[in-house]
Order: sequence, then C-alpha cells, then structure tokens
Amino acid sequence: MIQFKNVSKQYADNLALDRLNLTIPSRDFFVLVGPSGSGKTTTLKMLNRLIEPTDGDIYFDDQRIIDYDLKQLRLQMGYVLQNIALFPNLNIQENIAIQAESLGWARKDRVARARQLLSQVDLDPDQYATRMPSELSGGEQQRVGIIRALAIKPKVVLMDEPFSALDPISRKQLQDLVLRLHRELKMTFVFVTHDMHEALRLGQHIAVMRLGHIQQVGTGDEIMQHPANDFVRGFFQNEHAPRPEVIQDLLNEGYGQSTTATATLAATAPMSELAAALQRADQVVVGTEHGARSLKTPDLLDYLATKEAD
Amino acid sequence: MQAIGHILKTQGDDIVRAIGQHIGLSLISLLIAAVIAIPLAIILMNHQRGAKVMLQITSVLQTIPSLALLGILIPIVGIGTVPSIIALVIYAVMPIFQNTYSGLTTIDPNLEEAATAFGLSRRMKLFRIELPLAMPMIISGIRIATVMIIGTATLAALIGAGGLGTYILLGIETNNNALLIIGAVLSAILALVFGAGIDWLGKLSFKKAGIVLATLVVLIGGFAGYRKLANPQTTLTVAGKLGSEPEILINMYKDLIQHDHPNIKVTTKANFGATSFLFKALQSGSVDIYPEFTGTVLESLVTGEKSASHDPAKTYQIAKTALKTQHQMAYLKPMKYQNGYDLAVTQQFAKRYHLKTVSDLVAVEDKVHAGFDPDFHQQKDGYPGLSKAYGLKFASVKTMEPSIRYKAIANGKVNLVDGYTTDPEVQEYHLVVLKDDKRFFPPYQGAPLMTEKLLTEHPELRTTLNKLAGKVTTTDMQKMNYRVSVKHEKAAVVAREYLKSHGLLD
Repeated sequence: MIQFKNVSKQYADNLALDRLNLTIPSRDFFVLVGPSGSGKTTTLKMLNRLIEPTDGDIYFDDQRIIDYDLKQLRLQMGYVLQNIALFPNLNIQENIAIQAESLGWARKDRVARARQLLSQVDLDPDQYATRMPSELSGGEQQRVGIIRALAIKPKVVLMDEPFSALDPISRKQLQDLVLRLHRELKMTFVFVTHDMHEALRLGQHIAVMRLGHIQQVGTGDEIMQHPANDFVRGFFQNEHAPRPEVIQDLLNEGYGQSTTATATLAATAPMSELAAALQRADQVVVGTEHGARSLKTPDLLDYLATKEAD
Repeated sequence: MQAIGHILKTQGDDIVRAIGQHIGLSLISLLIAAVIAIPLAIILMNHQRGAKVMLQITSVLQTIPSLALLGILIPIVGIGTVPSIIALVIYAVMPIFQNTYSGLTTIDPNLEEAATAFGLSRRMKLFRIELPLAMPMIISGIRIATVMIIGTATLAALIGAGGLGTYILLGIETNNNALLIIGAVLSAILALVFGAGIDWLGKLSFKKAGIVLATLVVLIGGFAGYRKLANPQTTLTVAGKLGSEPEILINMYKDLIQHDHPNIKVTTKANFGATSFLFKALQSGSVDIYPEFTGTVLESLVTGEKSASHDPAKTYQIAKTALKTQHQMAYLKPMKYQNGYDLAVTQQFAKRYHLKTVSDLVAVEDKVHAGFDPDFHQQKDGYPGLSKAYGLKFASVKTMEPSIRYKAIANGKVNLVDGYTTDPEVQEYHLVVLKDDKRFFPPYQGAPLMTEKLLTEHPELRTTLNKLAGKVTTTDMQKMNYRVSVKHEKAAVVAREYLKSHGLLD
C-alpha cells in the first residue's frame, strides 16, 4: 500500500503539488489522470524518488520511502518511460536484464529471464533477443520497455504516459497487454495519462488531478455517474454523449481519392448510409465542398478500426 | 622522383628508424593524453563550473606556439623525447577532454533518468551506459588529437627527438625537395593509418578496445624499459645544429671519443634547430658537447665585445674567455676551416674580368647584379659593412632566401651571391669564391663546446678532441658537405673516411 500524506512540491515560481493526500491499495491498477500541469507526473516520480517532496511524507508498506535504501527502493519499483528510453547501445535482452545485471545475476539466468518475458508479450525470443532497439517499431520497443520494468519482479510498476507517443492501433494492443499483465502478475500498477478514455479503460481506481490538487478519486463508474465538480464533469463530457458520426469525419482523416464522377452521397450524411451504399457497390462517390471523392470498403474498415483503438 | 628513389635506397634504414621514432612518440603522447583527459572529463561531467575552468585552461595551452613550448621545456626537462612528449600531450589533452566531456553531457536525459530510476550504481551507469554512448564522440576527439600529434611531432626533430621531422627540416634547410616530400608524405600517411586504426578501435566493444590499448601500453613501456636497462655505460650526447656540416663533425667527435675511450658510449643527435635550443640543452646537461662557431659565440651567446676582431686567433681567445667567465663552459681548440660569409661568382664571370679578390670587384661594380640573403643584406658584418670597407656599390642587389640564391646564380638571374665558405653548392654549381683580401668578414671557426664540469670529469676528452684542432680545411669541408647534402651519402661514413685518410683513426 502506498500513502501520500500532505505532500507538497514547491518549485521556484509555482506550487506543483499542494498538500496531496492519496492512498493506492496494493495490487491495484491505479490511474492518475489530468491535463498537463496537473501534477500527475510529479506525483508518480516521487514514488521512486526521482523527485523529492518539499513537504509531507510518502509511505510504502507503512515505512516512509525516505527511510528505504535508495537502491533497494528503486529495485522494487519498475519504471516505464513516456519516451520508452531503451538504451541504444544494448541489445534487447541486455536492455531487459539491465537491473538483473546490476544485481549480479549470472548471464545464463539473465538471458533466460529476458527470453521468458519476451514470449510473455508475444515477441519471439529467437527473433528479438539479440536485435538492437533501433530495429524495432515503436510498439515493439514499448513492449520491451514494459517487460524491462518487470524483469526483477518489482512490487510496484510505475508508468509515465507510456503509450502517448504510439499510433492508435499499437496503443490499444498495449493497453490490452498491460491489463493482462496486471491480472497475471498481481503487482501494483500506477499509471499516468492525460487521456480520460485510457484512464477509464485501464483503471480500477482513478484519481483526477488538476493544478496540483486531486479533484476526485474513485472507480470509473463512480466518477462517470457522480462527478465531484464541473471540472470532472467537463473532462468526461465526450464520454457521455458521443456525437453521431458523419462521412465528413472519415474524409477529415484523409481517406478517399479525388474523382470527377458524380456524387451519390453528401459528406454530411451519417456513416451508416456510407456502409449501406458500400454493400451495394464497390465504390461510392461522396460530394464535398472541395469536389467529389470516391471511397471503398477498406477505407471505412480502416477508419472504424482506428476509431476503436482510440 | 629519381632523387626520392635514391634517398629511399641509400637511407632506407634511417627512414624506417625515423618512422619508428615518430610512431613511438605519437603513441606514447596519445596514450598519456587520453589517460589524463578521459578520467578528468568523467570526474568533471557533473561539475559544470570545474569543467568550464578546465576547458579554458586547455584552450589556453593550445594557443602556445609549439616552438615556444619546446623552448620553455628545454631548461626544465632537457632535450629529446621527454620535452617532446610533454608538449604533444599538452596539445592533445584539449580535443580529447572536450569531446569526452560533451559526449558524456549530451546523453539523452531520458536515458539518464531511466538508468537512475532502475537503481543502477554510479559505476555501472558509467561503464554500461554513459561511456558507450559517448564513445563515438570520444573516438572522434582522439582522432583529432592523433592527427594533431602526428603533425606537431615533426617539430620534435628540432630538439633531438628524431622522427620524420628530421627529413622535413633538413629538406627545408638544404632546399632538398626530395627529403621534404619524403618527410611530409610519410607523416601524412602515418596520420591516415592512425586515423583508420582509431576508427577500427572505436568499432570494437568496450572490453576489446581496452585490451588492445593495454597491450600497446605494455609493449611500448616494455620496449622503453628494455632500452634503458640495456645501456649501462657512461653515455655522452653529442649534438649538432641543422645541416650536413654539424652532422659530419659530431660523427667525427663520436668516432674519436669511442676509439680512444671504449668505456664511453657516444650518442649523436643531429639536426637540432636554433642555436639557443642547443645552448640551453648544453646548460641543462641534456647535451654534453656540440660544435659551435667562434663568430656565433660572440654574436649570440656571450655579452660584451660585440665588434669582433677580424683575426681568427684573437676571436677564438675572446670567445673562449667569455664562455669560461660568463657560462663556465670549456671551448676547445678550433679546426682550420672558416665558415664565414663569402662572395661567390660564376667561373665564367671570374675569368672574363680576371676576378680573384673582393677588391677586384671595384673595377666592375656597375656590372654586378647581386643576390643576397636578407640577413647579409642588412647586418653590419654583411653588405653595408662590406660596401664601406671596400668602397663597393653594385649595379643591383636583390634579397632572396638563402636556399634560392644558388639557383639564381646558376640560372643566370644574378652573377654574384653571398654564401658560407663551406657551402657545397660552391662545388655543385662550379662557383669561384673571391678572397676577402681586406679581412672584412669576421672569422667563423668551429670548435667543440662543453661545460667545464664535463671536462673536469673527463679530462681525457681534451686530448682526444684537440686531435681535430687545426685540421679540416675549407676545401675538405666543402667536399664533405657536397657528398652528404648533394650526393646523400651518410654523414657517419664521410666523417670516418676523413679521419682514416688523415691518420686520426686506424
């Protein structure tokens, strides 16, 4: 269990955290969500003491974290960075086992552990173990970033907006992955994001933050049903009343080819009409302000898949 | 090209030795510089202010001209390898330090944060993450330092550390382009080869590169140590200034001393740069004996009595006394030949106007187009004094670099030049030296110079070196200079032949 008691962080000209009180239960998937400048990352980095509070105390398993040996504390807190930050001079298995190496594990054990973790996240060890980070896609790199944080079985895994730099499809896959890992590993996950949708998808408990203060803590349902204030309500607006989608939304993403053929549908028509039209013909011409565009079935499928990942 | 081929054939061994010296000098300096600069950058990587101060210091050191630095070092550490290495290290520290420091401090802060958050020890962070990431920068710093060291190491020849600079300096001094090209091209090739070697080293893993470096250190250190231990006798260092003449003389000294005193081992260091370098080296004890001219002693080494006598014997006495009282130096008896200024004309010109002496020139002064070296044109003991003493005024006077003068007279651009009495070009271009019948030119006679302390410890040197007193005529010296600097024979061989043919050596 992690407890923040009256924790403040004062920088030269601004108060990043103001007397924060927060309890994170053991084995929880706890999400800190809020806009930039809300203090969510500061809160996270105080747990592995990358940032020290100017006031207040943080307890980890009923002991103040400043009373832990720094190295011991950090070895119990896995860390996943926003920029992934795989060491470019080390290959994948060396990256995964870097903490194990610092603990003096035998090479054989380090390799075995790295390979086991790679299989666990569906990366073939024979194919990936000895490659360099630069040879992997962003999604693959962050998979490695996640298992690197798990290598020596920490009690807590800290994740600082780990998926914000990824494309929507990889993001969805990795969200599924961390949910699965959380179920399997029984560790405490503390996850920072600015994306409400991601917070609702992942968090067992969510803390909504703004300007160094916690606005509300609760399960996703509790926050959705009973927002504590206008800020929280506004933050969730999009989740409540999704606007019906029109063909223009799809065109805005750049799908379709310019054509001189006559349009049979308007861009303001609902997406369902496009789907119906594509069932009848291979190609549908849509009229827009900037001329006609032709759309095909794969365009609609790609668009919907991306939407879902979002 | 033919000249280059000839030199490569006749002096191949010497050139290989020079390359060896050059490589040794450069490698040792590079290793010492790296051993200083890299740990220093590591220590200072988290102390921005300290690093700034250090960068300033190394930059200032960088701006000291290399010749000045060598001059400063001679009285402190003597001549030869040690001051050369110190100077090279001083130059090489900056690029290595600067690159290592910026390599270490420009690492992606996310990677630093990751390493910190994973609880890696300082040591592991440094060796596993930071140094490997900074390695390309460090390697490029070492590369820059290498090219600089190999270039600057050519100056080490000036203070007797040998290397390829010997050929470059000799080439410039004797207007021998073949020598110059050999020295310059070989050092350029060395720089390229070293650069490639360093790139290769940079591609190796951290451990392998370390092993290669450690092996080099052990090999060089072992070799140097072995050489030290293998030389137990009394060793005297005999040095000479740039050029063939001093080199011939010091080889004569060496042969005579080693012949008379088998327990003394003599090493020769030829082609030292300026007079002041050699004199300082003599004072500091890193050179034991060198041949010096009586005229030069009065002109640049002692004070007082500047207007030299025109009588050679008197000049020698004044020089000897001044050296003894002012510098506690012993100046043994001079040889016969005089190496002072003279005036030379072509045989054709001499025959046509029946020229034998400088006085004969007065009658034809309006037909004389002279080419003088700039010093001679200005100094009181040069043309201005000469023209007063003989009442001479030539039709035209051009100043030109010493080495170009003889070409100019050979090509007919001028018909009279100044020169040194023993210049081999007199023989090469078939010139006639006019007799200084009014004894205007101050006498320059060569004699062995050493400290009184050395002569007290080895009084036997006096008898041995005085065997040369009154020997070696101007013609002898001209001929020997011709064989060494034009025909590229070895100075040691030419010197020994002279000694044998004159019964000084059996």
